[in-house]
Amino acid sequence: MASNTTNKSTVSYTPNIHLKLGIKIWVQMLRELVASRELIIRFFIRDFSAKYRQSIFGYFWALILPFIAIGTFIFLNRSGILNIGSTDAPYPIFALIGLSVWQLFSSGVVAGTNSLVAAGSMIGKINFPRESLVFASLAQAVFEFLIKVVLILIFFVIFKYVPHWTIIFLPIAVIPILFFTLGLSLILSLVNGIARDTANVVSLGVNFLLFLTPVLYPQEGRYIWFFKLNPLTALVNAPRDLALYGSIQQPTDFLIATILSITLFLFAWRLFHLVETKIPERI
Amino acid sequence: MDQSVIKINQAGKKFSKSLKQSMLYGISDILSGVTGCISDSTQLRKGEFWAVDDLSCELKSGKTLGIIGSNGSGKSTVLKMLNGIFMPDKGQINITGRVGALIEVGAGFHPLLSGRENVYINGAILGMTKKELDKKFDDIVNFADIGDFIDAPVKHYSSGMFVRLGFSVAIHCQPDILLVDEVLAVGDLAFAIKCHRKMSEFRQNGGTVVLVSHNMQAIRNICNQVLWLERGRKKLFGDVFAVCDAYENETIKASKNFIEEGQKQLNYDANTQIKSVEFVNNHGDVNSEYSLGNDLNMRIYYDFKRSVSHPIFTVTIYSPEGLLMTSSHSHTDGHVFKELSGEGFIEYTIKNINFRPAKYVCAVTVSEEEVANILDWHEKKYHFVLTGNIVNEGLVNPFPVWKHI
Repeated sequence: MASNTTNKSTVSYTPNIHLKLGIKIWVQMLRELVASRELIIRFFIRDFSAKYRQSIFGYFWALILPFIAIGTFIFLNRSGILNIGSTDAPYPIFALIGLSVWQLFSSGVVAGTNSLVAAGSMIGKINFPRESLVFASLAQAVFEFLIKVVLILIFFVIFKYVPHWTIIFLPIAVIPILFFTLGLSLILSLVNGIARDTANVVSLGVNFLLFLTPVLYPQEGRYIWFFKLNPLTALVNAPRDLALYGSIQQPTDFLIATILSITLFLFAWRLFHLVETKIPERI
Repeated sequence: MDQSVIKINQAGKKFSKSLKQSMLYGISDILSGVTGCISDSTQLRKGEFWAVDDLSCELKSGKTLGIIGSNGSGKSTVLKMLNGIFMPDKGQINITGRVGALIEVGAGFHPLLSGRENVYINGAILGMTKKELDKKFDDIVNFADIGDFIDAPVKHYSSGMFVRLGFSVAIHCQPDILLVDEVLAVGDLAFAIKCHRKMSEFRQNGGTVVLVSHNMQAIRNICNQVLWLERGRKKLFGDVFAVCDAYENETIKASKNFIEEGQKQLNYDANTQIKSVEFVNNHGDVNSEYSLGNDLNMRIYYDFKRSVSHPIFTVTIYSPEGLLMTSSHSHTDGHVFKELSGEGFIEYTIKNINFRPAKYVCAVTVSEEEVANILDWHEKKYHFVLTGNIVNEGLVNPFPVWKHI
């Protein structure tokens, strides 16, 4: 068992252990992430199978919220209370794709923010790569997105609408929003570890953001500049444009948002790695 | 084999007393992380204290280290630092090899999921791959003795089953160094024995163990070296028997608070009183500290302003845990006093006292004619200390003799 001690690697714990610069730390972070892939999958399976275990509707819960939200908007539009504007594709399809992509972000960031605190007792007692909790919480959102993709395909049949062939790029086009979500989750999960208010702010915040982002309505009207300031606009619109119209309508916005997302992710990942050692004692 | 697997070099860990302040410091830590200029963690900020300070020690491969100390002395913090959960705020800790921790078994269990699912999750958290887990799954379940319940949600497990499964997963992850925090006290006796056997198998295979425990017997049985912590600092580090003896003798003397508990004095006749009680050692000096095997001499000074016919003295001795060691009456021990008056003293002697070394508390009463007719009662008022090496378990050390015939 321990007879060949000479071959064993030695770890060294010191204050500010992760405060190093250069390419080496990134290699180390990547290696740690690869090493914990199995754990991420386990956490995902755990959350996934536990979430719907003691419920009657099970996985259908993933679909209920989009139905209610889209139904409400259709009602408000038809009754004339709210003027959504016109969409080239049938509105339910337009809204469902938008909302599905949006919920990658919203459920991802809500679950991600809570992920460390929810596992608080474990973090204080077992040593394991903590970022795996955050990554796994995003996997949950990705899985629910896949369920919704099936629903989207059913909608195409129901409304007899033929999507553009570029819909096959949908999985690639949502990658930037995943980076954006992960980046925010990594930071917010740390902050939530210190101040629990964060989780409340985030779950309230994403609800408001949904209305301030052209997800359930097209990007038009007097305050276009306002939408353009919001990186989520481009991140939600681009995948939808590809699925419905065959090209991204605002490629520059999407490019900027993508670069922003990846930068945010890299920054957040590095920060998480740097600060995570101070988290167990505060959770 | 004689390489150090654990090397602690002047390590320290600080905590904040107030939650609010801890939040503020946490935020400032993150901010300084963002800006890249991490503050000097070796300085105490307001409201902080060192939970562990200036700790250095080394452990060689295949040895077992016990960590002892009173509650709050930093034992668990040290264990968490060895596990890499808490980073030291100063100093350095080097660990060689895979670390397995039995700090709180079953900590990662999800109540709604089945035992089978939880084995895989917990195993992954402890660093096992799916392949390893597939291979060891049957061993894990057999050792835990869970049976058909393995597919039931763990929230329906008894607390014993829960702990057994958690322990089983942890012990099967084949660490080089095992960190154990009191967990062996859980579960029923049969499982406790199984755990101890597994641990000793682990040690015989060259595994290194760090054990935190209040059970001195377990420390003496398992450990080679002992680290005694006091208020986060190293009080003593060295050979198991030397450190344990020193620790026990000090705790025996310091256990004052307990003695005060339950103390009372009831007098039913102002004319008949026990004035005082004195302990006298073999040389006739007043001293309430005895070594194992000495004669215990207790002098009960009485002050009777009237004549008391057939007085009966009773001496009761309790262990530190409150167990009744002995209680006897002078007349049933064969000493009938016809009549006593005025002042004087009665001597109560136990030859070669062989109680377990500890601090004992005594009650003394005097009655007239029959035991129930109490005149004066001093409950748990007097105490004496018995020092010596604890070599056996139980309440008495009868100095047994072993022979091969």
